Parts: sequence; C-alpha cells; structure tokens
Amino acid sequence: MKRKKVIALTLAATMTFSLAACGGSDEGAAETPAATTDEGEAAEAPAAEEAAPETEAEAPAEAGVTYASINLGEDYKDLTTTIKFIHHKTDREEDGTMADLISNFNAVYPNITVETEGITDYQEDSLLRLSTGEWGDVMFIPAVDAAELPTYFVPYGTVSEMSELVNFADQWKNADMCYGVGYMGNAQGILYNKKVFADAGITELPKTPDEFIAALQAIKDNTDAIPLYTNYAAGWTMGGQWDAYLGAITTSDETWLNQKFVHTAEPFKDNGDGTGAYALYKILYDATAQGLIEDDYTTTDWEGCKPMINNGEIGTMVLGSWAIAQMKAAGDHPDDIGYMPFPITVNGKQYATAGPDYCYGINAKASEDNKTAAMVFVKWMVEESGWCDFEGGYPISKTAPTSFVFDGVNVVNNITALEGEEDLMNEMNAESELSFNAGGDAKVQRIVEAAATGAETFDDIMADWTAAWNAAQEECGIEVLY
Amino acid sequence: MAAQANIVGSKKGFLHWARSRRGQQVIIIIAFMIIPLALLFTFTYLPFGEMVGYSFFKMKYVGKRTFVGWKNYASVFSRKDCFGALKLSLYYMGGSVVQLVLALYLATVLSFKVKGGNIFKGFMFFPYLINGIAIGFIFKFFYTRGFVFDTVLQWCGFQLDNLPYWLKDQRINNISLVGTSVWRYFGQNMVLFIGAIMSVDSELYEAAMLDGANRFHQFRYIILPSIKTIVTLNVILSITGSLSAFEPPYVITSGANGTGTYFVVMNEIAHTQQKVGLASAMAVVLLLIIFAATILQKLFFKYVFRSAEDEDMNATARRDKKLAKYAARKAGR
Repeated sequence: MKRKKVIALTLAATMTFSLAACGGSDEGAAETPAATTDEGEAAEAPAAEEAAPETEAEAPAEAGVTYASINLGEDYKDLTTTIKFIHHKTDREEDGTMADLISNFNAVYPNITVETEGITDYQEDSLLRLSTGEWGDVMFIPAVDAAELPTYFVPYGTVSEMSELVNFADQWKNADMCYGVGYMGNAQGILYNKKVFADAGITELPKTPDEFIAALQAIKDNTDAIPLYTNYAAGWTMGGQWDAYLGAITTSDETWLNQKFVHTAEPFKDNGDGTGAYALYKILYDATAQGLIEDDYTTTDWEGCKPMINNGEIGTMVLGSWAIAQMKAAGDHPDDIGYMPFPITVNGKQYATAGPDYCYGINAKASEDNKTAAMVFVKWMVEESGWCDFEGGYPISKTAPTSFVFDGVNVVNNITALEGEEDLMNEMNAESELSFNAGGDAKVQRIVEAAATGAETFDDIMADWTAAWNAAQEECGIEVLY
Repeated sequence: MAAQANIVGSKKGFLHWARSRRGQQVIIIIAFMIIPLALLFTFTYLPFGEMVGYSFFKMKYVGKRTFVGWKNYASVFSRKDCFGALKLSLYYMGGSVVQLVLALYLATVLSFKVKGGNIFKGFMFFPYLINGIAIGFIFKFFYTRGFVFDTVLQWCGFQLDNLPYWLKDQRINNISLVGTSVWRYFGQNMVLFIGAIMSVDSELYEAAMLDGANRFHQFRYIILPSIKTIVTLNVILSITGSLSAFEPPYVITSGANGTGTYFVVMNEIAHTQQKVGLASAMAVVLLLIIFAATILQKLFFKYVFRSAEDEDMNATARRDKKLAKYAARKAGR
C-alpha cells in the first residue's frame, strides 16, 4: 500500500513538473524596440546629476574633433588607447557578433583597443552608471533630459552638419548641437516574405489597400502560405501594432496623431480614397472577411510565427521594422524576409514614420585621446561596420550600403502634442476605452471577430468608435475643431 | 484629597482585577486577538472600504478625482459588457455541476476498495497542483487546430473537417474554457469528498447491507447525509468560483472572442482603460451578488437536507418531554 502511494505521488509530481515546464514564458512584449519612434516620453534626468562635477560642461566642442572631420581609415591611425563601450545588446555579445565587429574595427585601427560590455537591465543600469561618470567612453544614451546632454556627452557637431551624414541627427540635440547618433533606425511598414510574393506572381509591391488585398488574394490562390498572419491571440500584436500606423502614414499629416486626433469630430469616417484610420483598419477587416488570414486565429503563437514567415509559410505580418532581425534569425532563409511601406497612398505618395533606436553617446569626462578614439569608433560603427544593416534596421548613415529598401517613401515623424495638451490623448483613450497606442488590443481583436463571424459590419464598428470618441470628447470637455 | 484617594482606589481596583483570574483571561484574549484582528482590518477591511469609496468617484490611479455619486453603479448595470459578462458565469456554473457530480461519483467509487485506487486519486488530483498559468498554456496548444485534442479525436475516427474550432467558434469556446477549469478542480473536490466519506463509520455499510441496501441506497441514505457539510461547502465554493472565473479566459484567450468573463472585463476596465471607479463599482456589485447567491444556497440546502440531526434533536426533545410528562405523572401518583 505504502509503495503504491509513493509511486502515485512520484508520478503525479513528475507529470506536474514536466507539464509546468512546457508553459514557457511569453516574451513577446519584451521584444518590442527599446526606443519608440515618438520621442514624447523622455524620462527624468538621473537624480544624482548634482553630484557630477560641471566644471567644463559648456564648451568641450571647439577643441575636440567632430564627426564630420574624421576621415575613416586615414586619420588617427597612430592613436593608441583603450576605450570601453557599454550597450544593451547582450544577445550580440553572446553570439559573437560584437567581437566580430570589434576585430573588423581593429583591422583598420589596430592601436585602439575596444572593450565591450553588454548590460541586461540597460534602462536602469545605464542611468546609474551615467551619474557616476566612470562608465567608460561610449554608451547608448539612456533617458536623460536634453538639457543635461552637455554635462554627460561630447557633441558630434552641429545638427545641420550631422544631418548631411546621418538620419535622425536631431534625436538628441541641445543648443543646435548633436549628441547622439543611432545605431539603427526603426520604421513602420509591413513585413513580408519575398519568395512568397514572387511565387504568387506579385511583381510590384502593393501601394493601396485595394492592391494589398489583391496581393493577399494572389498569395492565397497561388501558394500555400497564409497571406496575412494576424497574431491575434498574442494581443499586443493587434492594438500595439495596428495603431502604430495612425497619423502621418495614413493621413500624410504629421500633426494628426498627437495634435488633431483628439479634436476631430469624425476621425473614423470613410474618406473614400483609401486613406485615414478607416482605411487602415478596413484592411484587417477585409482580409479577415475574405479568409486571407490564418485559419484558427485564436490559437496563434508569437514564437511560432517567426520560423513560419522565415520558411515561407506566411506571406505578410503587420509589425514594425524592429521585428526584422528576429524573423531573419528564426530560420534558414533570412534573405527572404523583406520590409515594405504600409500600403496606403495619400495624394500619390506613401509615408513611413521612422526614428532611431538607441544612440551612441561619448563620455564628456573621458580623456581627449579617448574622446577622439571614441568618435572614430562611433563613426566606423555607423558608416563602415554594417551592423545596422545586419540588424535589419532602417539606415542611420546616409552613405553606407543598406538592404532596407523604402523606395519612393517619405519618411516622416508624428509631431508631439501641443504644449498644455499632452494629457488629452490619455484622457480620451481612457474615457472612450479605445486606447490607441495604449494597449487597446480588444478593439482591434473585435474587428477580426466581427469579420470572421459576420456579427458586425465594418461601418457599424467605425460608427460605434466614433460615438465613443464623441461621448469622450464631451465628457472631457475637449473642443471639436476638425 | 478624597478624589485622589478615589482614583488611587480605582487604580488599585484595576490592578487587582488585572491580577485576578478573570482579568488575566480577558487580557490574554485581547492580546492574542489584537494582532490577527489588526492584520485583518489593515489588509482586508480597510482596502475594501477604500474600494467602496473609489466606486463613487470618476478617477484614475493618479490624478484628480471627481465625485459622481451612483453613476458608476448605473453604468455597471446599463453597459452590456459589464453585466452581460455575468451570463458567461452560467457556463461556469453548468461546468461546476458537472464537476461536482463527477467528483462525488468518483469519490464514492474510490472510497470503496478499488484496485489501484491511490494511483487514480493521484492522477486525478495532480491537475490541481499545476499553476493556473501553465494550465492555460497547455490548453492553448491542446485546443489549437490540428494539435492534441483534434489528433486524439481523429484517432477515434472523427474527420478534421467535421471538428469545430474549439476556441474560435463562439458557440463552443466558452464550453472549451469551462472544460479546462473542470479538469483542474474536480480532483480537488474529489479529494475533499473522499476525506469526508472516509469518516463515515463503515459498520453502517455492513448494517445497511444486512438490511438489503444496495450501493446506491448506501450512497443516498448513508454517505450523502453524512457529508452534507462538505457538499454544501464545495457547491458554494464552485458557484462563487464560477461568478469570478478569471484564469482560463485570461490566459488562454485573453478574454477575446466573446470569452471575457466579469473579472476579465473588470481587469480590462481597471488596468487598460484606467476607470478605477467603474471597476470598483463592478467589484462591489459582484460581492453583493456573491452574498445573495451564498444566502440563497444556504436556504436551499437547509431545505434539501432537513437534516437528520435536526430531526433527531426534535425527536430527542419530544422524547424528553414525554419522559418528563411520564415522570411527572409518576410523581403525582
């Protein structure tokens, strides 16, 4: 009897453990990009700022070298020093990519030794280290106030001078000086599999919602791939991704999202020309209604979709460009992964929003030699290393070769809210319960459900949203201007 | 002077009382109770009172609050996503009936001598030991089209095309979710039932058997009345659990596709929409509903098990009365 009991317990325990281990963890949300394309949320400066000595904070630029003046491969080849680079890409530290980059750098600059350190909890850790001043020579700039930049970092040159060489030179600026250069950019478009497109006979990338639906139909007709994989079940892939295209991409108006949206009477009305929020969400509705998405959307799996698109089992996914590297790494066909502009054309032009991920900053308290070496290193990383392209990022350098093809697309940025109106969007999101760009996944999932079951028409949903929006405007006392 | 003497007198009286047996008793009782009561008050009743207060405000976690009176309660009842979500609880209540009947049946069977009984008990109890989040992930794959469940059914001769989409089809997805919670909890109910059944005196079975009672009669007239307390408790817990079902829909479907139960909706309103006042009002309403349901069940079970004890007590009382009468008569004579 006793032995039986022991056996039963052991069995139960074993099965429990083995099953619990299958649970895994949902890391999806953690893989979203480090810095958002909107720059609205720059956090507070580190608390310990007073502790840092501010003696020569103001004018280090005149004496030092500038980014533009360095001739890579020619200047400073005899400079001998050791610099330290701290960063958040622990995965690249582990898989040897970082070591490869450094050895390539040392092939050109053998006398500059670069030590690297990947930090897991970068957001927090980097701020702490920054306040000590002893963190090394090159780091990815954490969330500091623009006013603090000269205290901590060396300027690369004037913003206008830098803008000639790199994209997003105004991300970290103070008094018209540029303090940060991105290591890669993030853009908003659509992820697709080039081979699937070719097999389906799609030669030209779709530019309008109608063309896009037609392309999806072609994929369905001519290949076995799922035309549009929604990732419905993950949740954040619905609201978190689809909402990101509101604003400049769908309207061409850079002020729409953060300034006009809350004051618009009918933000979800049908413009009739395939533009605006209506056209954006209608793509999802139409694709679902016409059976162009995965068969059983309620059991989709975020980790599972990566090898699927890599192997050509998925045609397209609506995700930001940060996802490219993950999809490329998930299988044997990294070259099949492509990225295209969102298929909405406003007045004959397509738009994409883009912004830098983390940016390189150079320690203002390093020695002059180290500052110069660091500047050389950063310029080499941006211009020559090919790291940005390796990650599938939107290009930073304006001259370096890139595989990121965004032909004929105007890259724009959603301008932040007017002063004094910063909270309106949050209030409207809460009051209307639509939560745009703020976790409103349920509303986008509702579109899929409605289209799949035929419970509601798309116009019903849009009318419902408009009613909720207008009621919220009234409740919050927001003036309707547009 | 006189007054002072009086005070000293009363002080002395108090000290005297405190040293007395009665005084020691009271002091020890208070000293022992004050800590748990303080904890209970601080961590249960105080936050609850705060929440009731919140339910009358329009507020977020941070920022200013506006008093809105009963408006939040009005919207709990008028919004179809709030109160309507309670309809889903009917699925879970139906599930809990299945769960209890199954548990009671298996408990009865396993409480008699069964080969490998302990192994069965272990197998049926182990789902309860698994973390609810893990269960969610297991069943997400279990129900995925063409995965575990469909494969097993195909072995049994079903065609994939005739099988429904377990989580996508809104007519059955709630039943699928209820299935996971039945799977998880029935083992626990069963173990509780077995424990109660074990305490039944086995001589009663023998006596009943001699009187010609079969197994069902034994169950109906011996086991069920003996374990009625635990049955009542389990029913109350399951009904309360059904009203506040959260884990299966939250983990497996995140409340999407018509599976958002009251708690899931409440979570969404409180955390995504940040309407803390409305969510608090929902919580208070749910609490009242649970109170009402519990009281109704109490009454119901009081009626169902007009318990043998109660009858016995009446009988004893009657007998005592009769005896008293008899004694009185005897004495009178």
